[in-house]
Order: sequence, then structure tokens, then C-alpha cells
Amino acid sequence: MNDLALIVLVAIVTFGSRVAFLARRRPVPEGLLGRFLEVFPLALFVALATSGLVAPEGSLAVTPALGGAAGGVVGAVATRRSLVGTILLGAAGYWLTRVLVG
Amino acid sequence: MFGIAFGVLAVQTGLAPWLAVVSSVVVVSGAAQFALVGLLVAGPGPVLVATTGLALRHLPMSAKLADLIGERSLRTRVSLAWVLTDETFGLTLRASQTGVPDLVAYKAAADVMLYSAWVTGTAVGAFVGRAIDPAALGIDVLFALLFLGLAAPLIRTRRDWLVVGLAVASAMLGTLVLPEAWQITGAATAAALIGTAIRE
Repeated sequence: MNDLALIVLVAIVTFGSRVAFLARRRPVPEGLLGRFLEVFPLALFVALATSGLVAPEGSLAVTPALGGAAGGVVGAVATRRSLVGTILLGAAGYWLTRVLVG
Repeated sequence: MFGIAFGVLAVQTGLAPWLAVVSSVVVVSGAAQFALVGLLVAGPGPVLVATTGLALRHLPMSAKLADLIGERSLRTRVSLAWVLTDETFGLTLRASQTGVPDLVAYKAAADVMLYSAWVTGTAVGAFVGRAIDPAALGIDVLFALLFLGLAAPLIRTRRDWLVVGLAVASAMLGTLVLPEAWQITGAATAAALIGTAIRE
């Protein structure tokens, strides 16, 4: 299989998963599925943040990424969960730790 | 900058520059595209398995987005699915909680900005970006912080805090026991399933 064909296949799989629930008109799921959909975004965002801030080095050693995580949490609390505050204080924590520990 | 990083990496791993740009035009998924170039030498099988693992998380995202936008034409719903990324989904979800009146227009605007930046960045990285090192600028950390900022407003109850703890633990455990392509989907699904089973 050539590279272009593989790219097209990846695009089909990706778009298919994205359009699955949007392409059909259905009522809002209730019961367990509805509760899962309520909880899933939070779990997804936390997993994505964790993989970028804590997990990449595979340990809890003090790293710039962990400094960024600490700064982000402080930013979220201090700015009443402001998106901009979280990112700015997280970036400050990242760069401060990077300067201090390299 | 993330697009530039992908363009540089894609060319470094042997993908033709024009194919790197084509992949950003038609796939529009950073995670899937990084998996694609990372596993290119392993062949189509591993690439498609990894892509499927990454794509599974789009199912609940598309269901939630369909719930948020309500009754819309098929054309609108399909076009919104094209750039249904973690970032645009998170921003749209946040907009729905802050009272943005027209979520479809908001999502479409976010899509256009992300799509144009992603494709343009890929082209820059693929054709002229060899001298740039996005990792040295901490771009990957900024994306992680974006997701932290998107998660924060969603934490409202004790069950939400439990889901946070489970997602952190699952993501860290996932790095030890799961293939890279399944780590995010696996961690988020495990935490959400347990959270679903717990009543407020």
C-alpha cells in the first residue's frame, strides 16, 4: 500500500468516528450512555493533560512539565477556573522550573 | 507551531512534503497523523490499529456535540464533524457553559482557525521548517495546559473529583501497560466508565 492510500484510509477512519453520532438525528441518550457522555469529556481532558504534563517522563521527578502542571492547577484555582489564567500560570510554572532545574 | 512540528517530523521520517500537507488537509488529527508518521515503517496494519484506537474517543465527543447543537441540517452536522478535534470540542463545550448564543457559528469559527493554522503550519514545517524546533519552545506543554484549563470548569461534584483522580491514575498507568495509541482513549474510557457507575 502506498503512502497516499494509507493517508486516505486514516482519514476515513478518523472522519467516520467523528461523524458517527452527528450524521443521524437521534434523541439525547439517557440512562447509562447519557451519564457516560456527561462524564467522558472531563475524563478525556484530564487524561490528555496528564499525558502531556505528568506522564511523558514516566516519573514524578521535578521536571519543567510537572512545574507547568503545578502552575496550571494554581492558575485554575487562583483565577476561578479561567482558561487563560490556567494557561498563563501553567506556562509560567513551566518556564520557571525549566530555568531552575533545566 | 504544532503543525510545524508535525511537518518537520513527517519529512524527517520519510514522508514526502506534499503528502505531509495532504494528510493535514484530509485527516485533520494531530494524534492520528503523528501515529501515522511514527508507524509508517511498520506498515499499514499498525497504523490503522493505532488510528482506530485514537479515533474511538471521537464517538462520545460527536454524540455530545450533537446534543449541544440540537436540530440542525445534515449538511451542518457533517461539516462540523470534519474538524471535531479535542481542541474545538473542548472550546465548544466551554462556550455552551458560558452562554454563547450560536454554538454552530462558534464551532465553525474555531474549526476554520484551527484547520487553517494546522494546514499552513504543516506546509511550513514540511517545506522550510527544518531549522525550527517546536519542542524547545514548550509547545507540547501549552497544549496540555489548554486541556487542563478546559477540564477545570467541568469539576463540580465529588464524583467529578473522583473521575479526575481516576483519569490521572489511568493515564499514568496507561503509559506502562498500553500501546501509545491506546493510552488516552483507554484512560479516559476507564475513568468515565467508573464515573458512570457512581451515582451522585
